[in-house]
Amino acid sequence: MIYVVVAVAATIVVVIVVALSKGGSRQEPGVVSFRKHIDALSPEARREVMDRVRPQPRDDEEPKG
Amino acid sequence: MARDLAIDLGTANTLVYMKGKGIVLNEPSVIALNRQTGEVLATGREAWQMIGRTPGYIVAVRPLRGGAITDFEITERMIRLLLQRVGVSRFTRPKVVICVPSAITEVERRAVTDAARRAGAADAQLIEQPMAAAIGADLPIDEPIGNMVIDIGGGTSETAVISLGGIVALEAVRVGSFDIDASIQAYVRREHGIAIGERTAEEVKVAIGSASETEDESQAEVRGRDLMTGLPKTVVLTPEEIRFAIDDVISSIIASVVRCLAKAPPELAQDFLVRGMYLVGGGGLLRGLAQRIERETQVPVRMSNMPLEAVVMGAGHCIEHYDALKGMFMGARR
Repeated sequence: MIYVVVAVAATIVVVIVVALSKGGSRQEPGVVSFRKHIDALSPEARREVMDRVRPQPRDDEEPKG
Repeated sequence: MARDLAIDLGTANTLVYMKGKGIVLNEPSVIALNRQTGEVLATGREAWQMIGRTPGYIVAVRPLRGGAITDFEITERMIRLLLQRVGVSRFTRPKVVICVPSAITEVERRAVTDAARRAGAADAQLIEQPMAAAIGADLPIDEPIGNMVIDIGGGTSETAVISLGGIVALEAVRVGSFDIDASIQAYVRREHGIAIGERTAEEVKVAIGSASETEDESQAEVRGRDLMTGLPKTVVLTPEEIRFAIDDVISSIIASVVRCLAKAPPELAQDFLVRGMYLVGGGGLLRGLAQRIERETQVPVRMSNMPLEAVVMGAGHCIEHYDALKGMFMGARR
């Protein structure tokens, strides 16, 4: 019986410790999405598109808009 | 499975960026129709070559004016044909991000998204042109510094201050390079008594048009129809005449740039003096325009590396990072 009580108590302690440690590092959802937004606009993130699009050959007769 | 697309639906040209591939289409926003049957005869470059040269039963039109849809049905058909040309069918319905002028109304927004959805898009999101232009011009908009972009298109001119991934100040006028062409047409008609077409006016602008005095002040011969006799006639135009003819349009664009500068917070204003303003869009290619804006605002003006493609590149980046950047779309403002 005592082993069961100790096991339950140990499990509760472990769950609390894990919950507390996760809670400490959790960020506000707004912070996470803003960070994601800003990171997606960084020069490194944009490099792929910039490298993909080379200056297009243009016909001089076309409207330039 | 369709690849998602970014579309710069401009008054002058339409560009399409395909996710994972790059720019797959760059054509004038023109459609030629049979006036009697309503049948589409040509789109893009082929239709553009027909402007002002068609027999009575054909009409070649630009379905967008001032960046807004003037003929919903024709725009929908043009978008449908463009999407078909890049491989979209009824079985492959892509997500689409479309660049539109920031000043469009709610009704105009709905017209664009409805046209894209009916043309085969599974989902259509809109992004403001100056924001897309700033991303495509590779400006450091992820940093807390003032980035200023001036986008001069066919039907609109927009100036925006962008910092930390969002628009801080914005000014837009429904004036663009087509208004410059129209001013040249009106001037030649008024002062020389000859009628010229919009393509000829554009050729004059490209050949000798300028916003301020340049080193090359060569003249140009223009052929049109004499309004008195109805006969073909040639006149010689000088760059000075063209500057006079287009001055109202240029002044209106510069006035909107000044208004945007005045709206910007003082902390960002100092950044403009160091970093300058970036010019994008076909209208920005007008000779002497950068120098004139610089002279009248006392802020350095720089030309973007790819002024004609910057907007679609920016929207293309949004389609590549759709989930992270969906807060930038109009109607989903963070």
